[in-house]
Amino acid sequence: MPTTTPTSTLNPKAVLTYAYYPGCVAQGACRELYLSTQALTQALGIELVELKKAACCGSGTFKETSQLLEDTVNARNISLAEELNLPLLTHCSTCQGVLGHVDERLKEAQTQQPEYFAEVNDALQAQGCSPYRGTTEVKHLLWALVGDYGLERLAERVTQKLSGLKCAAFYGCYLLRAQKTLPFDDPVHPASLERIFETVGATPIDYSGRTQCCGWPISSYAPEQSFKIAGGRIGEAITAGADCIVTPCPLCHLNLDSRQPEVEKVVGHKLGLPILHLPQLVGLALGLKPEALGLERHIVSTLPVLQKLGIA
Amino acid sequence: MQVCFQIQRQSSGSAPQLEQFLIEVDPRITILECLNHIKWEQDGSLAFRKNCRNTICGSCAIRINGRADLACKQTLQNELDLMAHAQRLTGTTATEKSLSECPKIEISPLQNFPVIKDLVVEMKSFWENLEQVDPFVSTASRAITDRESLQTPAARAKLNQVGNCILCGACYSECNAKAVSSDFVGPHALAKAYRVLADSRTEDAQERLQKMSADLSGVWGCTRCFNCNSACPMDVAPLDQITRIKTMALANPVNPELRAVRHREVMIDLVAESGWIDERQFGLRVLGNHFRDVKGLMGLIPLGLRMLWRRKFPFTFHPSEGTPVFQSLIRALRRQK
Repeated sequence: MPTTTPTSTLNPKAVLTYAYYPGCVAQGACRELYLSTQALTQALGIELVELKKAACCGSGTFKETSQLLEDTVNARNISLAEELNLPLLTHCSTCQGVLGHVDERLKEAQTQQPEYFAEVNDALQAQGCSPYRGTTEVKHLLWALVGDYGLERLAERVTQKLSGLKCAAFYGCYLLRAQKTLPFDDPVHPASLERIFETVGATPIDYSGRTQCCGWPISSYAPEQSFKIAGGRIGEAITAGADCIVTPCPLCHLNLDSRQPEVEKVVGHKLGLPILHLPQLVGLALGLKPEALGLERHIVSTLPVLQKLGIA
Repeated sequence: MQVCFQIQRQSSGSAPQLEQFLIEVDPRITILECLNHIKWEQDGSLAFRKNCRNTICGSCAIRINGRADLACKQTLQNELDLMAHAQRLTGTTATEKSLSECPKIEISPLQNFPVIKDLVVEMKSFWENLEQVDPFVSTASRAITDRESLQTPAARAKLNQVGNCILCGACYSECNAKAVSSDFVGPHALAKAYRVLADSRTEDAQERLQKMSADLSGVWGCTRCFNCNSACPMDVAPLDQITRIKTMALANPVNPELRAVRHREVMIDLVAESGWIDERQFGLRVLGNHFRDVKGLMGLIPLGLRMLWRRKFPFTFHPSEGTPVFQSLIRALRRQK
């Protein structure tokens, strides 16, 4: 196990509480992510205050129409967490990259572009919203586990070691490259997912596709290209010996799991690789029931994973 | 200090092989100088491109430790610092000992290009893709008669960032879209397309914009993976330039029926309507185009059935409690536009 860990400034005994930003997909086509995040955080004693007044981050498309639109909508999302005086927790690489980058941009604008900063806040205040103050941080569940909760503490909570399960990480572009600085990982050679795999007793599989695109952003209008990208990634993970891919991004999950039958048609052969959400994998190691983690709600059956672990 | 270079070597058409070279060098020298050292002292057959040695010509772009970069820009010390930084952040200590004893630097040729020999790649498609965007200010503007084609400092300043492109191929190497689409012109060409579009002397901006946003060969082919922004050694940020072209194209879409355009518009409409995206509505409106796109709708059926079968279909949808705020916020921002 790694010994040098980026240390958290938080009191390890304090109850971790976050303003939870669920995002669209976890409330819709990846409901199992919502369920498994709830189940995992409950089991770990992490408190989530759901931001019920938040809205879609735009998944990176809002700024194509207007940078001000992306900044203002997400300044509102972040200010909802600021009102609670809590860090904002995401569980989607794309939400993290968009919200995290807006937070970075606006914190910089506060001193570097005060006029633009005022424009964003004027738009918010015209709707009776509290202004964005730049007083909180935006953090993915993955980083919260590694940085705030801590891997040693997580290891103590593991009741069912996932021994023998070969896991291929799939980070998602926005988690690695949308923000200027990453507090807990390296954008080119990330390791946080692999360290979690080791902590829960699973075996990380190395393959170069783990930091690359899943193809999702163009799937609605360029399915052939999109599924070719997804097929390349899944094929690479299978060749490297993976039993499953584990991702902290539900959008990657949609392309890799929900569209896997179409992906198979494009690449011309069967793939059948289960794709797990990060909290599902960790939840299994904490002894949570597969149904509580929504593991039956996948297009590609997760049964081979459960069988390998002797759970099913 | 002693450094171990692991270089991917191959001849055209043959499988790549890793070859190891141990060199004793001053860490202040560049990766390019290390390669020279290997070539001059150990193996004269090692092939790589080089010219200016000063980040001007772009010839020596290669992949260093899994990312594209200019060999002449990166010093050995910088590279070692990057490696140490990554190890500190990720908490990986397995290679720390070997790093202090004899660090390993992995070198490979750029991706998305056929290899001619070792680190030398065939860049024909790269130049052809660049030509596709007609990378010059129009001929008419360049026909100087009795006076120069004047440009204000402010108008010129708009071109500074993207004008820094040295066409090294680093972005093209890392491009996820290029890897699967020979039609896509690539980040270098689109950055250049923006450079010409943004030039105050360009007279055919509308035609150019139309061409770059008409189909998947232009901006809509990009997957927004950020690799080009990360790879560019000159901070040209090709993805940011692609985004700027998209903004221009979305402001006045030539073909509003284009699914990529509808994708963007429907996203904003749905947020204004319900805060969160109702994916069922998204599918119907973007792929089905309000029941007008029969083929698009038919494509949704297997996905819908599959999701029903696996209990994944979202039967219910709860709008955000903050919907009224976002609705009026978006309305106000649209009015501003």
